[in-house]
Amino acid sequence: MVKRLTLILTLALLVAMMLVLSMPMSTVAQDAEPTPIVGAFGGGETKISYWNGLTGSDGVTMNEMLAQFADENPEFEVTSEIIPWNTLYAKLQAAFVANQPPDLILMHASEVPQFANFGVLMDLGPWYAGNGGWFDENDISEITYSGMQYQGVTYAIPLDNHGRGLWINTDMFDAAGMDTDPATAPDNYEDWVTLMQAVTLDADGNNAADPEFDSENVVQWGYVVGEWPRVNFLSALAQHGGEMVSEDGQVTVNSDAGIAALQQTVDLVYEHNVSPPPAGFDTWQGFASGSVAIIPTGTWFRNFAVDQTDINGMAWPQVQFGEQPATWFGIHAFMLPASSTPEKAEAVQALLQWISANQATWAGSGQVPALLSVQASLDAVNYPSNILLGQTFTEYGILDYTSTVTQEMYAALDPELDAALNNLKSVEDALNDAAERMQQVLDRAM
Amino acid sequence: MNSKSISGNGVKGRLTLTLKSRETLAAYAFLAPFMVFFSIFVVRAVVEAVRMSFYDWHILRPMRPYIGIDNYVELINDKVWWISLQNTVVFTALTVVGTTIVALAAAVAVTRPIKGQSFFRVLLYMPSLLSVGAVGLIWVWLLNTQFGIINYGLSFLGIRPVNWLGDPGLVIPSLSLTTIWWGFGFPMLIFIAGLQGIPEQLYEAARIDGGSNRDLFLYITLPLLRPTILFVTVTGVISHFQVYGQPFIMTTGGPGRSSYSLIFYLYQIAWTAFRMGYGAAVAVCIAVIMAVMTSVQFIVLSRRIEY
Repeated sequence: MVKRLTLILTLALLVAMMLVLSMPMSTVAQDAEPTPIVGAFGGGETKISYWNGLTGSDGVTMNEMLAQFADENPEFEVTSEIIPWNTLYAKLQAAFVANQPPDLILMHASEVPQFANFGVLMDLGPWYAGNGGWFDENDISEITYSGMQYQGVTYAIPLDNHGRGLWINTDMFDAAGMDTDPATAPDNYEDWVTLMQAVTLDADGNNAADPEFDSENVVQWGYVVGEWPRVNFLSALAQHGGEMVSEDGQVTVNSDAGIAALQQTVDLVYEHNVSPPPAGFDTWQGFASGSVAIIPTGTWFRNFAVDQTDINGMAWPQVQFGEQPATWFGIHAFMLPASSTPEKAEAVQALLQWISANQATWAGSGQVPALLSVQASLDAVNYPSNILLGQTFTEYGILDYTSTVTQEMYAALDPELDAALNNLKSVEDALNDAAERMQQVLDRAM
Repeated sequence: MNSKSISGNGVKGRLTLTLKSRETLAAYAFLAPFMVFFSIFVVRAVVEAVRMSFYDWHILRPMRPYIGIDNYVELINDKVWWISLQNTVVFTALTVVGTTIVALAAAVAVTRPIKGQSFFRVLLYMPSLLSVGAVGLIWVWLLNTQFGIINYGLSFLGIRPVNWLGDPGLVIPSLSLTTIWWGFGFPMLIFIAGLQGIPEQLYEAARIDGGSNRDLFLYITLPLLRPTILFVTVTGVISHFQVYGQPFIMTTGGPGRSSYSLIFYLYQIAWTAFRMGYGAAVAVCIAVIMAVMTSVQFIVLSRRIEY
């Protein structure tokens, strides 16, 4: 009888576990409507297949634009497939080998050299006004234009500049008596630490500068170092006057500048107690749930912050830990496969002309339109983050590293940064190991 | 056999040979469809992968120079390969042992004559029907340090939040736990079949001789389940040694490289760096390791069972 009871209780426990395990599914579900992964817009005879990696809230804006394009141009049908960036690059390789690439691809400018080097991208130089085309290269920044090129050939049409900035919880700033005006943002490491300590609180309400502060029981973090550490590091590296690769082709992430940049970030966790270790901490949900005061994020955060949180927040410029300001930014750019037929290229050109003419709508995604004229036309009420962060890119932005092996180098760097930030390796060991592997990658590509 | 009575010896021999030949031909005919597809999609791919491993082979680059064993030399000196191998071996050992124990316990439980037996069998098998993506996302939330229900439950016991996926000492066991939950359903079915194949009279005889339930399990059930255990562990090792989805979805290999698995690293080499030649060398070595491990399992566990 006892054994039977034990058996029934065991099975009942298993059933309970199954039921409990089904609960998180409802937690994951958000109120916001998810972005369709594959969307078909319009029903015309001219068909365009389009792949992009806009998995964030910016994908919603892109799909809205495509729907509007299809409404205005009923002869087109656009099939848009949203694929996470890393998977997109892998899938593209297979698609090119199979000679079945999409008609249009949105990629990062940092990928232009790699795919151009393989000879699979179409020369879009004739589409630029300087060559008699429709896209005005004088209406984009020089650095953006240079990002479209590889070995003197122009392979892409830019959509936006997107990059690093902060988002702050203004209620937490107010409660700590801190000014929320972005113009008051500190310009050195010590002042940033002071600010972050002021908005880091333990369960008893002590801030991180208080001698009574309990670092084992933090309920509100001032900062989070785990949000895309690589671009934080590259920004801080530049702030200290360093660079990822020197002009003579040497990887220099383990330079004095690199070590200082990463050590300062590590110290935010283990010395100043203003950030949790990265592993296991969900930064976006942490901000959305009101347990993070400052999140290093980017232009793409706008829709999430506005639509999917109840937090009163605003954009701030990137932190400055070194002697000079610097912030990482990248470029989304459109590319076509070299195998495009003239008819297909003409159809895609019509779509890109429409998107370029409507770049102001793209600002709704939070990204900074590539066209300078559109940037200048944005109003401060509706697009404060685009304007603020866009100015920082223009004034002191550092463009994402471009080479034929960018992704492979990042794959060598990322785990080492993660190891240092999680205190698994010393900063010097992590950067030395990263530099060694990155140099091997670079040397192979030479 | 009718040919024996009808024919003389010489004729009989020819006819017997003919029958054997016919049977052989029929066997090959039945095997042919499989062999054709196996040759095209497996053998050819394996041969091609081995060949590729001797080249500097980038998927989109037309020039693919022959480099001999350079890829294998690089592999031996590759620190990340050794980290990934260690992680994978630990994960496989934990998962295979855990899955076998849980599956066997579940099979024993649902083989007993209880009400709702079929319901419990279906319920316990259900996680196996989920995709790795769904399983990964569910467990990322369950194990989440800030919002996870497991840490929430532990808080009632006064235990501080555990960083299940962020602690280098816990991340592999956590991935293993996830995989055991996900994967024990199929071996449970195999064990149920194995248990039903054990003759009941053996248990009856043992009970008459005064054997306890523990004795019955240890000295009858377990030994007679050895072929089943061999099958479950061999297929488990082959399957779990190729773990990819769980670290990819739940940890992206972190913290640091604490949860890099061999296939995770292979994917990075092949599809992030696009170094197919080096990736092929990694794949060949993984296959060799798995073949060796499987052979060892057969030698250790495949003692002849008779009943």
